[in-house]
Amino acid sequence: MAKRFFSLVVCLITCSLLSAQEKINQTFKDTRVINAQSVETLAKRKLDFRVSHRFGDLAGDNGGYKTFFGLENASDILIGVDYGVTNNLTIGLHRTKGAGSMPDGNSGLRQLLNGVVKLRFLQQTADNKVPVSMAIVGMASLSTAEKIEDNPDIIRSFPKFAHRMATHAELLIARKFSDQFSLQLKPGFTQRNLVPFEDENGIFSLGLATRIQVTKVMAVIGDVTFPFSERRTTANGFYTPIGFGLEFDTGGHVFQINLTNATGLMETDYIPYTTTNWGDGEFRLGFTISRLFNL
Amino acid sequence: MKAIVLTFSALTLCMLMAWRWPTAEINEEGEKFVSPWNLTKDKTVNEVLMRLGDVPLPHPVDTSMKWVSARAGEELVKHGFGRGPGGFKTSRQSKHFVCTSCHNLEKEDPDLSVSDPQARLLYVKDQGLPFLQGTSLYGAINRTQFYNGDYRKKYGDLVNAAQNNIREAIQLCAEECAQGRSLRAWEIESILAYFWELGLKMEDLIISEQEWQEVENALQGSGDKEGVIRLIKRRYLAGSPATFVTPPKDRKVGYELEGNVENGKLIYELSCLHCHENGRYAFYRLDDSKFSFKHLDRHFTRYTRYSVYQVARYGTSPLNGKRAYMPNYTMEKMSNQQMEDLRAYVKEMRK
Repeated sequence: MAKRFFSLVVCLITCSLLSAQEKINQTFKDTRVINAQSVETLAKRKLDFRVSHRFGDLAGDNGGYKTFFGLENASDILIGVDYGVTNNLTIGLHRTKGAGSMPDGNSGLRQLLNGVVKLRFLQQTADNKVPVSMAIVGMASLSTAEKIEDNPDIIRSFPKFAHRMATHAELLIARKFSDQFSLQLKPGFTQRNLVPFEDENGIFSLGLATRIQVTKVMAVIGDVTFPFSERRTTANGFYTPIGFGLEFDTGGHVFQINLTNATGLMETDYIPYTTTNWGDGEFRLGFTISRLFNL
Repeated sequence: MKAIVLTFSALTLCMLMAWRWPTAEINEEGEKFVSPWNLTKDKTVNEVLMRLGDVPLPHPVDTSMKWVSARAGEELVKHGFGRGPGGFKTSRQSKHFVCTSCHNLEKEDPDLSVSDPQARLLYVKDQGLPFLQGTSLYGAINRTQFYNGDYRKKYGDLVNAAQNNIREAIQLCAEECAQGRSLRAWEIESILAYFWELGLKMEDLIISEQEWQEVENALQGSGDKEGVIRLIKRRYLAGSPATFVTPPKDRKVGYELEGNVENGKLIYELSCLHCHENGRYAFYRLDDSKFSFKHLDRHFTRYTRYSVYQVARYGTSPLNGKRAYMPNYTMEKMSNQQMEDLRAYVKEMRK
């Protein structure tokens, strides 16, 4: 099966390289959907300055009027930059607060430096000889949090330096079906070097993302990521991270406003650690501001 | 030692005797002759004018300067960087634009003696060129006036130095139009050297057979040389006229001209998409989707930065953090009729 898939990809890449046909651009308008990465890369020498924010629970036990519907809390905050090395290769460095936690309250990695590399190796063509765009993403998160001594039960005990790290890799397969509708599939694998007792280090996941263009400027976006793990069930207190929102592209600026039950912003955070449930009102308002610069 | 010196001297003498000056050639009959200079279509206009005794153009290249080369100039014009000491790339002149963002490098007017935007549009379509705000750099070397007409309204006193000096004009374009760093002296000379390669040729001018004969006669010394110089110079413009125009008073009514959809399509494809397609030079992207046409149509009559009337006639301004801007279209680069053609096309495509 893997061999067949590999052959298909090689065949598509060859078609893509040989095809002089018009390429399909802007399957998504931004390099991220809500929680998920999109297949888009930055154009060469473009710098994307990004600020993302996830507020506290809108409703539920920790939301409502007492936190002004979550606006007085910050689950996670991201600030960072992405840079287009070539039209198909983007690198990025982001700082996040880190937000994920286990159902028992044991927190995941905090105070994270996140390095991201994204390579788009296939681009959909107008003649459909290449029907999809594909990219691979590699991500590493490093916790700069202070080590907590004498408590081996928590992640922040960091017995080794490597325990500060979590990594994630994924394949993005996307198609722009029309000017209005795009869909993306993203199988991925997340590796945490240190996990709580009886948890698993490696987690496979499958994500789905979509974009529905409403006007030239505005689109509806949504994504969902299913972790494949026996432990990550609702019975154990884990929930599937789901988000949807609105995206505004005003030329140079992309502004997203969204609702999601995920607390963390990076894949190494929200895939293994989403323990908040839409049904219990544990979803939050979030936004992303992206600003492009020529370098 | 003496033998070596004698042998070396003899060899040098032989080599000198064997040397022939290249002006003399041997014809088929084995006779020596000197090639005559003939007026042909591929001769440069400047060469012909020089032979007629015209005053030399005021911008010869200073080749005594280090690193000056036409190839470095070509790279600067096309890619925004040159090759300096040791062949290393210089830093990019501008993060936002290159010369070809706004200027063609080929002949873009069928008749170089007039600036007619409609004739130019049809000509560039046939030549596979874009339809741009800037004047083609082809023949720039034959011009003696730059930043003419209403460009003073835009650049103020900055045009003083540039109006009769191509080097200053290049520098003004680099700093203000391209929003980039100042060009170094050798870079300007290199660009100039490249421009000399893009000089007008006699075949570019519209000259009748009788006029051609007059030029030939004058070159052979039997005609009115000054009259012929004037004749040749009437066949191309010494500078590009620039008339700034405002959007229509009532944007809903427009310029009160009937738009031609087919012509509007050409303008959209050869002009708008040149910069806006897939964000080539602009952050605001345009394509052939209905979303783009609906957006443009909705804003046409408004007073926003998405209004074509607004940005085509006034342009946009470079701002801190967003230096990439849109230059305006003068009347000579896009007529009011063409604006209405574009509007008609946008309206048609949004349906």
